[in-house]
Formats: sequence, C-alpha cells, structure tokens
Amino acid sequence: MAEALLSVRGIHTYYGDSYVLQGLSLEQRAGTIVAILGRNGMGKTTLIRSVAGLTPPREGEIHFKGASLRGRPPYAIAQSGIALVPQGRRIFRSLSVRENLLLPTSGLARPGKGRWNLRAVLDEFPQLEERIAHMGGSLSGGEQQMLAVGRALMSNPDLILMDEPSEGLAPKLVKHVGEIMKSMRDHGHAVLLVEQNFALAMSVADYIYVVSAGRFVFEGTPQQLEREPEILDQHLGVARAH
Amino acid sequence: MDRGRLALSLIALAAALALPFVAGPFWTGLATQMYIFGLLALSVDLLLGHAGLFSLTHASFFAVSAYTVAILQVRYAVPTTLAAPAGILAGTLLAAVFGISVRTRGVYFILITIALGYVVWGVAHRWSSFTGGDNGVTNVPFPAIGGVGITSHTQYYYLVLAVILLCALGYRVLIRSPFGLGLRGIKASETRMQSLGYRTSAHLYAAFVLSGALASLAGVLYVYYNRFVNPVASSFPISVEAALMAIVGGSGTIIGPFLGAGVVLGLRNWVSSFFEMHHAIMGAVFIATVLWAPDGLVGIAARLRARFSRPKEPGP
Repeated sequence: MAEALLSVRGIHTYYGDSYVLQGLSLEQRAGTIVAILGRNGMGKTTLIRSVAGLTPPREGEIHFKGASLRGRPPYAIAQSGIALVPQGRRIFRSLSVRENLLLPTSGLARPGKGRWNLRAVLDEFPQLEERIAHMGGSLSGGEQQMLAVGRALMSNPDLILMDEPSEGLAPKLVKHVGEIMKSMRDHGHAVLLVEQNFALAMSVADYIYVVSAGRFVFEGTPQQLEREPEILDQHLGVARAH
Repeated sequence: MDRGRLALSLIALAAALALPFVAGPFWTGLATQMYIFGLLALSVDLLLGHAGLFSLTHASFFAVSAYTVAILQVRYAVPTTLAAPAGILAGTLLAAVFGISVRTRGVYFILITIALGYVVWGVAHRWSSFTGGDNGVTNVPFPAIGGVGITSHTQYYYLVLAVILLCALGYRVLIRSPFGLGLRGIKASETRMQSLGYRTSAHLYAAFVLSGALASLAGVLYVYYNRFVNPVASSFPISVEAALMAIVGGSGTIIGPFLGAGVVLGLRNWVSSFFEMHHAIMGAVFIATVLWAPDGLVGIAARLRARFSRPKEPGP
C-alpha cells in the first residue's frame, strides 16, 4: 500500500481545559475523500483544527506527506499543502471575490503549483465570475461556500480540510457541495470532510470514521457503515433510511 | 479612476501649485505643515487603516529622524545629501527595533507602543548634553544639494509638495500590491490568513518598519521646515494627533490623513487665535468624528456623493 498522505496517530487535543480528542488515529491516502461523522460537540472541528495547527495536539503525532507536523505553525502547515475550508465559510467579507481568491496565490503565502489559477477556478464556479467585483459579504450562503472552496483550491493543495460545508445550506446546495467534493477528488485532491449531514458524507466518502466523545467508534466504508445499525442509532441518531 | 475624481485631483493639484501666489506666507506655511503631518498620519495609517494596528509611538521615528538631521547638520556640518538619508535610516532602524511590539495585539500593542514612545521622549528630554534638552537643536539650515539650496519657505513648500506626491504614488502601489492585500486580510482575520499560508507576524513586522520609514521621512521634512527640533516632536501628543488626523480625515485612504492634518492644524491655528481652550474644540471634533462619521471626511464625502448620484445611476 502506498504511503498515507495524512496519518494521524493517537492524538490527544485539549480545547482550553476540556479534553476533546482522546486518542484518535486515522490514515488517508492521496486523492480520496475521508469523512468524519459525528454529532455536535464530539470533537469534529477540533480534529480539523488539530491537523491545521490551530489547536495542536498535546500528545500523538500528525504526519503529512511523510513529515511530522509537530510544532509547525498554521502558516507552515498551509504552505506544506493543506488548505482549510472553515466552518461557516469564513470568507473575507470586506474583500472582493477576486481579492478573496487571489490572497492564497501571493508569493508571500508560497502556494503550490498545479492546475488551479483564477481562470480555472472561475471556470469551475461560473457564478463567482458574475460576482467577481462584489464584496465577499454580499454573497449568498451557497456562493460563499463556492468562494471558500475556490479560495482553498487556489493554493493547489494536496489535502483540503472541509469543516461542515453543508451547514446552513439548502438541500439542493448541499447536493451541489457533494458534487464539488467529488470533482475535487477527480482532480487529485484529497478531502478530509467533517460532517453532521449523514447523507452527504455517505454519498461522497471513500472511507468513514464515526467519532463520539473524542474517540472513533467506527471506521470503514460507507457500505460497512450501512450494516451497523447500532452505530447509526447510538452515535449518529440516524433511523435506517432504506 | 473615473472622470469626476480625475478632475477633482487636477483641481486640487492646481490649487496646491497656485497656493503660494494666491495666499500669503501664513497659509503657505500652514499648508506645508499639513503636508508634513499628513505624511506622518499616513505612516500611522499604514498600520491602523490597513493592518488594524493602533500605534502610538510614531512620534519616536519622526523625532529620531529629525534629531539625527539637526545634529548632523548643525554640529558636524554634514551636508543635506548625507544628513537627510541618515535621518531616515536612524528612524527606520529604531522602527526595526520597536517592531518587536507586533508580537502583541490589541490593547497590549497600544500600551507597549506608548511605553516605547515615552522612552524616546525621556532620552530627548533628559540627555541634554547630546539632544540639547528642552531647548533642542536650533539653527538647522534649509536643505541644500551641492551648491543648490532652498532659500525660502515658498521654495521649501514646493519641495515638500513634490515629496508627498511621490510618497502618495508609492503608497498607492504598495497598498494595491499583494503585500497590501495581505495586510487587509490580516486586519480582517489574522487566523484565517495563517490558514492560507501567511506568516502574519513577519508580514506585520515588515509593515511596521515600512511605516516607521515613512514617519522618518516626515521627520526630515519637519526639521528642515521648523529649523529646530525639541522633545515636543517625540512626545506622546504628536503620536496621538497623527492617529487622530488619520481617523478624522478617513482611515484606510490616502487623501484622508492629509485632510485630517489640515483640519487639526487649521483648527488649532484658527481657533487658538480667538479661543484659549482650543484643545477642547479639538476634543469635540474627535468625539463627533468617532460618533457620527467613523469613516472621517472621506466617508462623509462618499455618503454625499452616493446621495446625489443615486437618482441618476441606480447602483449595481
């Protein structure tokens, strides 16, 4: 098996005084979508923040492309090829769509090389081109999500961290977000997705982890998860759909 | 730039060029001061308006540069061609040291810059064998390059005007560059910028030093205008006034700090001629700005413009 792109080994992360991640391990290969499913407050966002270096783990190791991320500040982790699409989009409301997209391409941010540039991102998201001169804050929720993803792509990352991309979006747009993630995978980017939306995660993920109270209680393919009624019921609160 | 703004800029430029002929030496001198302090306010606003850092130590760079020029010219008869660059260099080096303050944020940044400013003021005030103490350094000559020298305040007015126009152009290029965009990103959210791969502390440090260099240039222009420098130049009120000029005029713009400098200096000179407590008037102006016109004069102009142009062209 090829070396994992991202390898999280037994991390323990505290958020302030609370002990959030209690020994999580996961592996992700390049060009795959891995989803972390779990209810609110189970540590999903903290996991994303641990990988991005925003809340570094107190114990355990995170390796990316074979190198340890221990002690590396967020900007260095971003420069190594990890892009973050934060919860609630967090685009720059006071900057234009164009400026939002160009920020990661500055030499100061040391972007990666690859197929994505302003032209390619606008071709992928034609709606953004119509709004190119508008302020980020004037965009709709769906457009903001596209902008956040487009901004992440501009640095040509190997791994995109997506924190609850379905949050606050209409069902039709959630489906669109799923399509976007599959398209990212087709372009060779790995996506680490953190979600509460069961259907979305099941429809896009190659591999799924279920987190509960800071520990993984399941890992496997979506098909395997389908066959675990107890996990679904206890940890995700999903009534069997079909 | 649209036609209206271009026309307005040309009118302003023509007025600035004609001023010494139309108005007397009093107004020409006031305008020179407005340009110099406007440049100081602009340097403060690089941090305040673009990076979101409220520095209260910029009088330090302004004064260290002014003292360097004065001491070199007066005591050591060093020519302008060396003294002026040495002044900018000295102020900028001090900014490179004071730049450690960007390790802090928010109120801590404000407090540490106040403290640093007092250190410089204390040195200027108490180290009298070198700085001349309260009397400062006097008899600074007009600047001269080779055999060609400035001989009048009117000539000096044009020199200052040329320098600030060049600075304004350079500043415009800077804030529109990826570096300037990065600063605005940091002002909006530093964490987000780090997640995009920006080493924000280095970015802010560079901005701090650049801003200090600009304040130092203002210090050079100041000492040749004033013909002397004393500890007042390094004092806390100068740092505060520079920031308030930027806010009153319109923070985050280029013309704003200069307009703000005009308002502050104009009010002081005009009001103080008939009203002793002119500082109270200034205070009232600042409070009114913060309460009702947080975007300063530039913001008021933009609002009026929007009101009058709305019937003709409905916005996008």
